[in-house]
Amino acid sequence: MSQAVSEDSPAPAPRSIGPWRAGLGQLLRNPVAVTSFVVLLLIVVVCLAAPIYAGDIAHTNAFQSSVTATTLIDGHRIAVLQQNKSGLGLGVVPIGPTWNFGGYFLGADSQGRDVFARLLYGGRTTLLIGFVSAVACCVLGAIVGLIAGYFGGVVDWILSRLLDLIWAFPVYLLAISLSVVLLTNGLRIGPIDIEPDNLLLPIMIITLIYVPYVARPLRGQVLSLKGREFIKASIGLGAGDWRILRREVLRNILPTVIVFIPLMTALNMLTESALSFLSIGVQPPNASWGTIINDGLDLLYTRPAVALAPGIMLVITAVAFNLLGDSVRDALDPKAKLRGSI
Amino acid sequence: MRKAKKFLLPIVAAISLVALAACTSSGSTPSGGSTSNAGAAHAGGTLHLVAASAGGTLDPQVNYTLQYWQLYQGAYDGLVTYARVGGSHSEDIVPDLATALPKVSSDGKTYTFTLRKGIKFSSGKTVTTADVVASFQRLFKVSSPNAGSWYNVIVGADACLKTPGSCTLDGGVVADAGTNQITFNLTQPDPEFEAQLAMPFASIIPAGTAAKDLGTSPIPTTGPYYFASYAPTKALVMKRNTYFKSWSADAAPVGYPDEIDETFGLTAEAEVTAVENGQADWMYDTPPSDRLVEISNKYSSQAHVNPLTAMWYLALNTNIAPFNNQDARQAINWAVDRSSIVKLYGGTSLAQPACTILPPNFPGHVNTCAYTKGGGSTWKAPDLTKAKALVAASGTAGQSIGVVVQNDSVNEGIGLYMVSLLNQLGYKATLKPLSDNIQYNYIQNTGNHVQLSLTQWYQDYPAASDFLQVLLSCASFHKGSDSSINIAGYCNKDLDAQMTAADTQGVTDQKAANTAWGSIDKAYMAESPLVPLFTPKLVDFTSSKVKNYQFSAQYYMLVDQVWLK
Amino acid sequence: MILFIGKRLGSAILVMFAISVMVFLIFFATPGVDPAARIAGRGASPEVLAQVQKTFGFDQPLPVRYGLMMDHLFIKQDLTSYVNVGEKVVPQIVQATPVTLSLVLGAAVIWIVLGLGGGLLATRFRGTFVDPLIMIVGIAAVSMPAYWVGEVVNLITQDKLHSTVFSWVPSLGYAPISDPVQWAAHLVFPWLTLALLYGGIYARVLRAELVTAMSEDYVRTGRAKGLSERRILWRHALRGSLSPVVSLFGLDFGSLVGGSALLTEVVFGLPGIGKLTWDSLQNLDLPVIMACVLYSAFFVVAANAVVDLLYAVIDPRVRHA
Repeated sequence: MSQAVSEDSPAPAPRSIGPWRAGLGQLLRNPVAVTSFVVLLLIVVVCLAAPIYAGDIAHTNAFQSSVTATTLIDGHRIAVLQQNKSGLGLGVVPIGPTWNFGGYFLGADSQGRDVFARLLYGGRTTLLIGFVSAVACCVLGAIVGLIAGYFGGVVDWILSRLLDLIWAFPVYLLAISLSVVLLTNGLRIGPIDIEPDNLLLPIMIITLIYVPYVARPLRGQVLSLKGREFIKASIGLGAGDWRILRREVLRNILPTVIVFIPLMTALNMLTESALSFLSIGVQPPNASWGTIINDGLDLLYTRPAVALAPGIMLVITAVAFNLLGDSVRDALDPKAKLRGSI
Repeated sequence: MRKAKKFLLPIVAAISLVALAACTSSGSTPSGGSTSNAGAAHAGGTLHLVAASAGGTLDPQVNYTLQYWQLYQGAYDGLVTYARVGGSHSEDIVPDLATALPKVSSDGKTYTFTLRKGIKFSSGKTVTTADVVASFQRLFKVSSPNAGSWYNVIVGADACLKTPGSCTLDGGVVADAGTNQITFNLTQPDPEFEAQLAMPFASIIPAGTAAKDLGTSPIPTTGPYYFASYAPTKALVMKRNTYFKSWSADAAPVGYPDEIDETFGLTAEAEVTAVENGQADWMYDTPPSDRLVEISNKYSSQAHVNPLTAMWYLALNTNIAPFNNQDARQAINWAVDRSSIVKLYGGTSLAQPACTILPPNFPGHVNTCAYTKGGGSTWKAPDLTKAKALVAASGTAGQSIGVVVQNDSVNEGIGLYMVSLLNQLGYKATLKPLSDNIQYNYIQNTGNHVQLSLTQWYQDYPAASDFLQVLLSCASFHKGSDSSINIAGYCNKDLDAQMTAADTQGVTDQKAANTAWGSIDKAYMAESPLVPLFTPKLVDFTSSKVKNYQFSAQYYMLVDQVWLK
Repeated sequence: MILFIGKRLGSAILVMFAISVMVFLIFFATPGVDPAARIAGRGASPEVLAQVQKTFGFDQPLPVRYGLMMDHLFIKQDLTSYVNVGEKVVPQIVQATPVTLSLVLGAAVIWIVLGLGGGLLATRFRGTFVDPLIMIVGIAAVSMPAYWVGEVVNLITQDKLHSTVFSWVPSLGYAPISDPVQWAAHLVFPWLTLALLYGGIYARVLRAELVTAMSEDYVRTGRAKGLSERRILWRHALRGSLSPVVSLFGLDFGSLVGGSALLTEVVFGLPGIGKLTWDSLQNLDLPVIMACVLYSAFFVVAANAVVDLLYAVIDPRVRHA
């Protein structure tokens, strides 16, 4: 953990370019921040290389079911899905880890697909969903928080009740209900037609359920900013609402929004995996770490690696994002707190 | 070996009942004790069954699940029943509450039964002909699932279907309290009427039972057990019916356990562990594939594998593209690698590739295979070349296809295989997994535009029409309805007429009719509205305590014939 | 003050009403969920299907059906399931409540001990290796998917090491508190799994609060007076830092009791509110879904209101915000 401790006054003061540069400098000097960033970079690079592993090294297709596939082990051709021949002859077991990058490094899943290749592709999906939905959450949350906090009155009341509604609607219930509807038929709004297996659906669902996490603290921050002298002064000088929002308010809450992004990414990745565990997230044959864990749970007793590997990757990545988020928080806005105080 | 032993006990006492159980059961169970004392020694104990979830309403006239039909065998009786014994004899219809099988008039429209005397409900009331008439009226009043598809041949049924509230079945079910006779008058001959009377829907329950689905409140029984309590989130408890005296070894054998409980809520995974550790005696659900090897190797003496008369199949919607094209439909039948699908289901010991709609060992089944590489009467390998040629000929390549499956791992696994295969054939396939509970009705409704779906059909009773007529007749297809069991939406007037003819022939000559059904099966396969995948086998996993396991083709493990001692 | 309470109450009711309407509409927007065909059974003829629709009132317009459902749920309290016909919904919730309470209360004790202990230790030993170590453990705990931890715990305790170290672990499920030993044996791993996540959160929150408090004026004054660090931490800083933790606890506790422990309950087979919710969603059993969602929303809304109310008592400015 960083040793940087808040010596700031409770509410953020007006900022100039200075604090940004200072914050970045502090981050670069923080070994925790640098380490987590490097770890994340490594994970991203390895996951981006998924097609290289699948296509050029293991020669496998991570999405095509390969029930009749075979692989070479010690010079012997072996079926990837093996029929149990002992006892009553019940059951078919996929091969376990070969620890050989030539194919089935982590073994096969029940469709005969290479788990390691799926792990890499799954990482791309999980990271993409986590990051995109985190950015979307922060942007949407910032907009809602800004408008509600700044304009107040009826606008605030309506937006706040909407946030209450999403907040009180139990997270998984909301996600499950939305998923059941959306995943059955996809989403059709006018000319936009999103197929049920489109990644946009889980992204939208996760974004929606976590908007209050970001919007509420930001609304509070805007509310307190509004009472501060420099905003009152701008209003007194006759500046337009949008100008004040953009020049003064947004600039002041931006550090908080930036702090939220890595923290929300970690949270959203975990949520994605939980939704996939309940088989309402990413749809097959697409892979994400959550769906691989879910596939792996069906093989937990015979082939635990299938569920353990993506779980460990998920934990490492989420830890790295959380550590990075903490460091960014220390550097930019030590007071920033997500709803739920994470 | 259809003998109805009648032991009339002067005193109703549990102990003497138990002794009786031994005598009566020894006739039908060769593996059982050969002396009456051996049987008595096996009575007693509580049988613990586990299931992931409850099977819905407990009302025997409404429930349509194998889960409870299996338990009804030790609880409810109809006029006739499928023999409650293991082995091939289990597909024979035997008299139950009736003294003998019905006298059928020469035109096949009148069935006459004589009710046994002295049988009592678990409430203590004696079973009379009035109860029989009331039970059949109630069948319509509670909207029994097959009221309109099976029992509509009874005179007066049409009026009952229109206005169930005032259902009398006047002239349809006629009772004569003096002679204890009940006569059924039908509007047309029906070779399956006897089988339909043997189904749990036609159980005889007390007259005066409320004319609505009683759900969780148990209805008095006539069999060896009654339902003592039922809470769908917790457990179902069956206890000995003290008014029960066995009247037939085949139809109403005395049960062995003193009590039978089925608890709900464990996952299949946890059920396996519970049975292994002896905390439960039997699991209702299919053991998850992850645990099969363990069961097969470490617990082989506790696992029982039996073939089912059932079919896993793909339904191709013949009314919309691409499967309104026969070449495209046949291409799927050629292309599907049944051995891959068998692997996904759990291996060769659990399933057998299927080529026909009627499963093996089923009336009318003929060993033939229209779609296998190299030809022959059994399936050997897929023929992708032929399939690709047919897709090309159909001009449907490049179209998108949604594959609608249930979202459990086995169904989804097969769905994924299908998506890969369809893509290989040049289509753009996507998988649409739906909750088990809605998929079946979803794929039936034409409004949902389902093109290809994976589903299963398990027999109600052993008759070819229970597969072919139910799944493919024009009458089973209802546009825009959630209840349209002809999922392929296939209606062929010519074959429909052939089925009606075979049905009629069955009244007089069942053997010739079965031959006709065999060729109808073949004709449908040529049109390819369905793609039969495999015939599943059932794994029953029992605890080490359980002895005298017997399998009935009709209702599977005979729960109340199990020995715990 | 009364006005404030009235306002909170009003918006709480509004939120719950809106949620119930949303659930109802989402349900009926889903294709294939019409319960009539499922209740009627496979192969039901059109006449039978129509009868079922009539008997269950599925042929009435949606607003009427909504009204009837609310009437049966709240006023008559005899709403029954669509899947297990005849099974009343309210008793199901009543039966599931003690299970969830057992899980959440036990876990709360553990996570408070872990959270407070971790937070205090980390602050006390700032500048040594202890602080970053505890915080890394805390972050790791927060970063683990609860269901995955639960499954791994099950793999170890029910299978891999069940024959040796964990032979005392009973099979999955719940045992009533009337047998306290069995009750605790069934719940100990669910408790630990659930407490892991929240313990991590609370340790982090408390440490952040304590660190801020340690630099406040009154602490500096205390130091100047020569009070010991330990005394300052316990007597002064902790007292000031507890109120955010307490309010956080209120919110978490409310949502967990309402069923947010869904994943833990599902993984460990505990028949609590979360599991009931999950099962009803699997079955698409609208009456049970509706009851569960409203039950859970009630706790979330109530916890929010109570926390806000406490703040309003402490800080009058909140009432006007």
